[in-house]
Amino acid sequence: MVGVGAIPICLLFAVPLIASLYYALIGAFDSAAWQALFAHPQLWSGLELSIFTGATSAVLALITAIIIVAATYETATWRNLPATMGAMLALPHIALAIGLSLLIMPSGIFARIVANIVGWQTPPNWITTHDPNGLALIAALTIKEAPFLIWIIAGLLNRDDIRQIFNNQRAAATSLGHGGISVWLRLFLPQMMPKLIWPLVIVFIYAATVVDMSLVIGPTQPPTLATVVWADVNSEQVINNARGNVGAIFLSITLALCLGVTYALLKLGAPLFRTFLSSAPSSLSLPNLVGIAKYQMLIWFYLVIVVLLFFISFAQNWSFPNLAPIISVRAWTQIFQNPSALITSVELAISTSLTALVLIILWLEILPEKADRILILLSVALLGLPAILVGLGQYRAFLNFGLTGNMMGLFLAHLMPVTAYMIIVLTSPYRALDQRYSATASSFGKSEIEFLWQIKLPLLKAPIYAALAIGFAVSFSQYIPAQLLAAGRYSTLPIEAVTLTSGTNRPLTAAFALLLLLPPLVAYVISAHFGKSRWSTA
Amino acid sequence: MSLQLKNISLVLDGKQFIAPFSLDIAEGEVLTLMGRSGSGKSSLLSYIAGDLPSPFSGEGDVVLNGKTLNNTPPRNRNIGRLFQDDLLFPHMTVGENLLFSLPRGARVEREAMMQAVLTRAELEGFSDRAPHTLSGGQRSRVSLMRSLLAKPEAMLLDEPFNKLDRDLRSTIRDYTFSHLKTCNVPTLLVTHDISDVPVGGRIFEITKSGEVKHV
Repeated sequence: MVGVGAIPICLLFAVPLIASLYYALIGAFDSAAWQALFAHPQLWSGLELSIFTGATSAVLALITAIIIVAATYETATWRNLPATMGAMLALPHIALAIGLSLLIMPSGIFARIVANIVGWQTPPNWITTHDPNGLALIAALTIKEAPFLIWIIAGLLNRDDIRQIFNNQRAAATSLGHGGISVWLRLFLPQMMPKLIWPLVIVFIYAATVVDMSLVIGPTQPPTLATVVWADVNSEQVINNARGNVGAIFLSITLALCLGVTYALLKLGAPLFRTFLSSAPSSLSLPNLVGIAKYQMLIWFYLVIVVLLFFISFAQNWSFPNLAPIISVRAWTQIFQNPSALITSVELAISTSLTALVLIILWLEILPEKADRILILLSVALLGLPAILVGLGQYRAFLNFGLTGNMMGLFLAHLMPVTAYMIIVLTSPYRALDQRYSATASSFGKSEIEFLWQIKLPLLKAPIYAALAIGFAVSFSQYIPAQLLAAGRYSTLPIEAVTLTSGTNRPLTAAFALLLLLPPLVAYVISAHFGKSRWSTA
Repeated sequence: MSLQLKNISLVLDGKQFIAPFSLDIAEGEVLTLMGRSGSGKSSLLSYIAGDLPSPFSGEGDVVLNGKTLNNTPPRNRNIGRLFQDDLLFPHMTVGENLLFSLPRGARVEREAMMQAVLTRAELEGFSDRAPHTLSGGQRSRVSLMRSLLAKPEAMLLDEPFNKLDRDLRSTIRDYTFSHLKTCNVPTLLVTHDISDVPVGGRIFEITKSGEVKHV
């Protein structure tokens, strides 16, 4: 009986995932492919760029997150912080990268404003997007990942038990003469670190292996290794495909080594850190203004991007220094004459997030809590491994079962990351629900189904709606599996958006970027509204 | 040395819950303030320490050794505090907890002072232990020592004996008061338990109407 709850999620999530990992890894046994990889002229420069952009953006995102959290902690802003960050999280990476590139490119808005002030007639010689060091990519990644880390840290600090302990510790440290910097660096962060390590690892791996953002805004001569691998994977030639496969494995192994080396260095540096911990009281305090300013900049940046995309989507024939374009609805007419990509994306997002919800609740209702570890392990494996590696294995596996070029394959491929994210969001609040509610209900003669519908699901509506919104956004932003499995027969918004960025039709590009970010945002707002507690006491 | 509280009152949502009062605590004196739970004892200590959280607010002067502290940030007030919990930082060793409050100085000297303090607290050899491996009484002693190492000019005690076992309570109480005596700083103790009051000490009470009265 217990097994029944596990069957659907195994069939639709676990088995395809394990098969994908299997197919990704068996590609490793191909010595010719390895030789080809090590002969690839862009291998080492690409690897260097991948590690540099990944590590730098992860560190910058962490620093930004800490400064903003420390400045807003327990201020009036603090209460809205998780909601604001959640909205930012809902925006797909690609849309943000497109918005940023339209802002900073040589003929972008920023250059136009400068041109109008100083009187340039031609676009400046800037290398602001696709710059060889990947600085634009680092900026985009940092801006996208900082809200994620802030959201995680705020979630920790808002736990009742942690908040009370930390506030008491802060009072004690303050009475000993310690200022804000000391409290955060010597007390709060070291105690939170164990919970921040996995999110940081995920941010680093994501940033070092991102393909879609790198294609939009990343370096091109040479590109990052993930982009090199991506080109191989999409090549017409089988030899290149095999090289791409071992390239993805090589990238994964190298990143794992980087994490290992970082860990070893941190261990070696531990005595230094302990000296820092136990050094004399320091009353230094970072002025809150710095953090508040950073927070405002982050919010304004997102707002500017959205407004900018909206504006550019109506701008036709826009010659350089002009700030005011000729307004045209051509881009939007074009989209509404052929909305298939939008429709496919919305269908996939709705169907996968609802399916994942049902699968997860079936599992959680029927299986004991001990078994959750398997699901969480699978989810973390999926999210922690480079998307390009999993995507590649998925493609190989699905090819064998005739699941490429059809909706079933696309659905299963999108369902995988959606389910993984929703498992992580939903499991702990679901299991944390007080067992005594169930006992109380059954003492009134309520059946388990009645309890589930009348008590449990209503009590859990906030995490359930949040999980649905996250699932929707995750599905909406899938580029790698969509591109590989659609096999040219279907199109989704990420596929269209990435393709458009290599062309010159800016209004259409901007319109697609907007289409990419608006539905997840709407889903987020709806879920926040319906997930709200009935009583506004909290 | 003295801690003077001048015309202090506390307000929550426009309602005064502690009426203006003044107190003068002499050096070496332990003055006790008693009150029911919820009477505002802890808020009053927070006001004196300078970290009263909103929506609470207060008025009146806190004067320490002749210096008015109203505009001094909490970290610079030089007022030590003991709380209901020992609040030893769990990610630091006992020794590191003590060093955390020891003022700037040469490393060797700070280390030696820390060890000396441990000896005085009859906790020799405990410096590398994790706080959670200590007994409740040992932790209280470390917590007190940590406060005193910062060389406070006044101490605020917020029911520090409340969570201790009954038989441990009087031992720790005597231990705390005798150490405070050697430091000779003005101390304000708040409690709801009359047995916490040191022998011969002055006692004030927060009445139901929020007045602070000598008992």
